[in-house]
Parts: sequence; structure tokens; C-alpha cells
Amino acid sequence: MERRDFLKDSAGALAAFALAPLVAAAPAARPDLAVAHGASPERIVRAAVDALGGIRRFIAKGDVVVVKPNIGWDRKPEQAATTNPMVVATLVKLCLEAGAAKVKVFDRTCNDPRRCYVQSGIEAAARSAGADVSFVDERRFREVKIPNGVAIQSWPIYIDLLEADKVISAPIAKHHGLARLTLAHKNWMGVMGENRGRIHQRLDETLVDITTVIKPCFTVLDAVRILTAHGPQGGSLADVKQLDTVIAGVDQVAIDAYGTTLFGLTGADIGYIREGARRGLGVMDLARLRIQKVEA
Amino acid sequence: MLLWARRVTQGLFLLLFILLFLQTEQKGADHLGYPVKLFLDADPLLALATFLSAHTLAAGFALSLVLAALTVLLGRVFCGWACPLGTLHNLAGALRRWQGPRRVLGWFRVKYLLLVFLLAGSAVGLQLTGLFDPLSLLARHLALGPYPALNYAANGTMDAVYRIDRKALTVVAEALFGLLRKSVLAFQQPRFAQSALLTALLLAILLLNLKERRFWCRYLCPLGALLGLLGRRALLRRETAEGCNACGVCDRNCQGGLRALAENGWIGSECLYCMACDDACPKNAVSFGFRTGPAAALDLGRRRVLLAGGAGFAAVAVSRATPDFGDRANPELIRPPGARSEPEFLARCVKCGECMKVCTTNGLQPTFLEAGPEGIWSPMLVPTRGYCEFSCTLCGQVCPTGAIRPLAPAEKAQWRIGTAMFDRGRCLPHAHATPCIVCEEVCPTPAKAIWFEEVVVKDRDGRPVTVKQPHVDLKLCIGCGICEAKCPISDRPAVHVTSIGETRSRKNQMLLDNSPYG
Repeated sequence: MERRDFLKDSAGALAAFALAPLVAAAPAARPDLAVAHGASPERIVRAAVDALGGIRRFIAKGDVVVVKPNIGWDRKPEQAATTNPMVVATLVKLCLEAGAAKVKVFDRTCNDPRRCYVQSGIEAAARSAGADVSFVDERRFREVKIPNGVAIQSWPIYIDLLEADKVISAPIAKHHGLARLTLAHKNWMGVMGENRGRIHQRLDETLVDITTVIKPCFTVLDAVRILTAHGPQGGSLADVKQLDTVIAGVDQVAIDAYGTTLFGLTGADIGYIREGARRGLGVMDLARLRIQKVEA
Repeated sequence: MLLWARRVTQGLFLLLFILLFLQTEQKGADHLGYPVKLFLDADPLLALATFLSAHTLAAGFALSLVLAALTVLLGRVFCGWACPLGTLHNLAGALRRWQGPRRVLGWFRVKYLLLVFLLAGSAVGLQLTGLFDPLSLLARHLALGPYPALNYAANGTMDAVYRIDRKALTVVAEALFGLLRKSVLAFQQPRFAQSALLTALLLAILLLNLKERRFWCRYLCPLGALLGLLGRRALLRRETAEGCNACGVCDRNCQGGLRALAENGWIGSECLYCMACDDACPKNAVSFGFRTGPAAALDLGRRRVLLAGGAGFAAVAVSRATPDFGDRANPELIRPPGARSEPEFLARCVKCGECMKVCTTNGLQPTFLEAGPEGIWSPMLVPTRGYCEFSCTLCGQVCPTGAIRPLAPAEKAQWRIGTAMFDRGRCLPHAHATPCIVCEEVCPTPAKAIWFEEVVVKDRDGRPVTVKQPHVDLKLCIGCGICEAKCPISDRPAVHVTSIGETRSRKNQMLLDNSPYG
């Protein structure tokens, strides 16, 4: 099967964007980022995606979709180290409502995958929403060339992601010792094979390198709860802040730049956001973005 | 008829044993949901040995009394009808055709003397019983030997098919593989130190059946001996009726190797109650029924018993005159969370291998001589094989004798199995001006036992490089070893856990705060 959307070069991405006005009205009014706030994770995810133009802007009938959450750690939802299960389940439901043939959910975890999948609540929630939840199979990685790579020129990437028609990124916003924050860019570590620990030696460049070859159709950054210290695992509820917010958008640099504000920082404070903006992968300057806030 | 009733019963018990064995695996929840140590719980020998060596009742004590009581009434029915190792012996014995008159070694007494030796050792705190107990032995050897090999064979075959990369073939093979993975294969390929040795020993025990059927059960099994003693005067006995013409068929078929035909040839303590004699008798003269009265004498020989007991006492001294029982703890002997202090741990651990089988990361490995000869095949954490998963408490849940206490999650989070320390000569940010800090990222203690200091160092060309250099907070580190397991310097990590500071030990401490005086 050929790799589709997310391995497209920028010309392809632009072409897809040019077609979008045919199905959705008034593209000028469409925001770059939708920030939804409210008590129900399901309602705010739906509101944010609607504000971006609705799920049908991104997902077509018959698509095989990958929803990629962060299931990296053996923690419970209230510890805010993994994506909120309701956020994941809602994205799955949205895709199926738009006629997706199949929605796959997986992550290459840091702790034991069985515990991560169960304790995070993601396996149960995604499965009951109709997703195909599976553990990462170590045989299913394919080396992908990174033509514009600065730190890495190729890396093994999970085949299910490469072969999907559409990818939706569903990271959680949290603190990280080395990178300061982990947001959308860092979500792709979960589809990288082999000894990923080594990328820490040039983390900012590597995260941007990977982001150049994985193009999600959109991203929902989970900030229902955020982890403000001792990330990326946390563990203490004292480090968790409940924000009841999700941020949706197509531009991962913009998403992450907005994400930093939840922690009282700016995009320029984070190495990989600066690096992404410098390479022209997205807009870091919030003043240049149309940001729509929604209460739901 | 009886033959098939027995075979079906044996098959069901073997299946149950295997089912519980396969369920002894992390599934993601905090509990397994199956009574995986059922057979070990029901074992009166393990209960008795634990009582003698640790002066405590094993968790399954009540269940083992049921089996003991059953044996008092019915004799060694467990051996003939239920013991999973006994059933494997039957299967192994079927590899050879048994014809004509037979000669038996008649070493029946050996198992009683072994029992006396083991229990005498237990009485002074030496727990060797689990090495020979058939249920502990089977669980251990299966988990550490043949089962990992079976997984390797299946995974290797499937990988080979996968690499052929023919779509039709892959689809069929992967469907089959998926089925195997859901049923009999482990989640991850298990790998254990001494795996080949443990397989070989199990095979050797099974191959004894080619010499004599159920060789182990007749001559060596200490549980068989204990049940034999309990069931010596059992009410269920073999009877021979008038029609017997001494044709000798019963003799040839006896799985217990008894001279069943001879006067007083049937001995209650040696009969496995397989009832093959009853089945085989052409005259229908043999039957089993309830009877009372005097039982055949069991003469082990006073000197032999004294010698075996004496040897058991002596074995304690022999095995403990090693440096492992000196004042210093073995730094590499990292015991599972909840393990009791070393002497008490050794008094209880029956080396059944359940903790190693269930260990989430495969980090619990069998010792060889790290804990002295008496500690052979007891569990130790090898972080480069697998770390101790922060929220997992399964090893304590499956331990049949409480050598590893089941810990509550809050207790587990505080339980120190050792302490990590950095080797600054190998650490990338410390020695090589290279950022890394994977150890800090994976450190699971909520306040991060691994912390870092931002330092500007110079590279070879004198250019300044800002790196985060990791340090261990000795008061927070619980020694789980995930830092060691995930260190990118994977052959000999730049951070290493040793047993110092372990919660279970009063002596193996370095900080004043953790001393009894601080």
C-alpha cells in the first residue's frame, strides 16, 4: 500500500488545502487554532473540531485513520501523564461518524505496554468507541528517509502509521525535564522504532526532523489536565492542573506555541518550537494566528 | 473403564495446571484474577517445610490440609490421578513399550530419606524442599526452561515466515500467530539465565521413566513420600479375591513398581492408585475397596533415618560457610519488592519460579550462587534484563510462601530494593559533553529521584556546551533500575543499581537517616 497524506511533500499538502474550500464554506473565517473550554472532554473536542471546519474537512468516507495518543506511561488519567481517554474516544467516534472504515489506536510505550494501555484508560475507552486498539509489533517498522533531516537522515517508523490514509495526533500537554515541555512534536516519538533514547542527544533537531515526514491532518492537544512539574511521568496529583481545555489545529508549531502559554511560557522558550518555526514548518508567533476560543 | 476415568482426570488436572501457568502473566490490571498458585497452595509438603523453616503458615495452609486429609482417607490418589508432574511421567513412560517380566530397582526408601533430609534442614532454616517438591519443580522448570524455548521456536518461525513476505502466506501465518499469542505464547519473549540447564534437568527427570515407569514417583519424590506416610493406613485398599490364578498381569502393570502379587506385596504407601491392576486383571479378581485393619510396615532403618536427618542439619552449616553469609550483602543480589530480610527470605522461598514467570519486564532472573548454594534459583532483579515496574506488585501476589510479601500500591511506591549510582566516566553529559538525561525522564518516583544540574562544559575544541548532568537523590531512589535499563549505553550502563539501602535489610544501609540510630 502506498503511503499517503502524511508523507506528502509540502506541495501535496497545499493542494489538499486548496481543495478544502470545495467542501467547507468561507475558508477565510476558519481559525488556525480552535481553543475549546468546558467541563466535558467529549463536548470540547467536538466543539474544537467543529470550529476548525468539522471532521468531514479532514476525514473522508472509507479512510483508514490512525489516532495517535500518548499512552507512554503506566499512569492513571488523573495523573495527566497520558492523553485523556475521553479525548481519544471522542476523536475515534468523530472519525467513525465521518465514515472512516477503521480507526487504529496505538503507541510505543515507555513503561510496560499492557499496564500503560489498561491504566491510562485509553484502551477501554477507544475500544468501546469502536477503535482497533493494538500493541506495537516490533517487527512492523520501516525505515523512512528524512530528506531535510538535520540530526537524523532516516529512522524506522511504524508501518501502520505509514499505511494509514489519515493521521490524527492527540498528545497531552505536560512538563518534560529535557525539552521543558512535551506537546505535539514529541508525540511522534511514539511511532519511532529502535533505541529512541539516543535522540535525546539532539532532541530539538530530531523532533523537528521527524515532524517533517509525519503530517497529521490535524492535532488535538489535550489540556483537560496538564502536568506542570516532574514530567513526563509525574505521579503526584499536586503537579496536575485541571484546565478543561483542548487546542485543535493543523499547524503543529502553532499548536505547540499556544500550548506553552498554558505553562506561562512562550513558543520561543522551547527549542523544538523555535527550530520548527525557523525551518518554516509553522507559525510560532501567536499574534499572526487566528485563534478562536469556544465555550462548550 | 477405570483406566480412562483416570486418564481423563489426569488430563484435566494437567490442563488446569497449564492454564494457571499461562495466566501467571501481566495483563495490565493490578491483579491477575486467577488463583495461579492453586497447586502450590494445596501442597502439604511446601506448607510443612515453610512451617518448619519459617515458623509460619503458608498462605494456602488450609488448602494443603484438605489434600493431607484426603490422603489419610484415600492414600496417594493425588499421585495417580492429579499430580501434573506425575501425568508427564506417565506420558514419558509411554515412549517405551513395557513387555515381559520386569526387574525393579526397589529403591522406595530413598524418597523417605530425602524427605527426612529436607525437613531436617527446614527445621534449622534451610529451605531446600522446593528444589525437589514436584509442583514447585514443575512450575519452576517449565517457566524458566521449556516455556521460553517454546516461545522462541514460535517467534522464530513466525519471524522467518514474515520475512518471506508473501502476502497470502503472511495473512495465514499472522492469523495463526495471533491465535497462538492470545492463547499459549507469552506477551514478550521470556529469557532466563540457566534456561538450558533447567530444561535439561527436567528432561533428565522425565527420561528416568525409560528406565522404570514413574521412576521419580517411586523413588525420589519427597511429596510422594509425605503423602505415602499420611496415606499408609488409608481406608481405600487393594483387595484380591478368590479367582486369582497368579498370572502376574497386575505385577507387570503396576505403576508403583510393586510386587503386587506377592503376599504383603501391596504396600499402601507405595501404591499410586492408578488402578491399572484392577483394570488389567483377566479374572476380575483385583479391586479397590474400603477396609480397615493393620497396614504393611514401613521400615526405613533407624540408622538411615538418623543419617539423613543429620545430613539435613549439617547441610545448613555446609551451605552457609560462604562469604554470602558474611557481614556484607552481595551488591548484585537485588531481591524483589516486598522480599523479607535475606535469612527469612531464604527460609521461605521454595524457588517455584512464579515471581519470575509473572515479572512484567522479565527482570527477575534465577540466581545461581549469588545467594549461596541454598539460594539457587531464587529471584534476583537484573536491571539490564528488565527493571522493576513502579506500580506492579504481581511478584508478591503470586508468592506461595510469603517470601515476597504482597505490597499495597502505596507501600510499593516507597519500597527500596536497592540504590542507583552513576558511573561518571561513562555517562554522556558527565564525561562526553553530550546531552542525554533519559534516566531522569524515565525515573518513576513522583518527585524524581534522579535530578540534574545544568552545567556548561567544553567539548574537544574548547567550545562551551550546556548539558544537564544527572544525580541521584539517595533518599528518593527506590532502586527500580529503569534508569539502568533505559540508559543508551546499553552494554554496561552509566548508572547501576546495587542492593545498598534495601528496605528489607537493617545492615545493608549507607545513610545515617536509614540506620536504626538516625
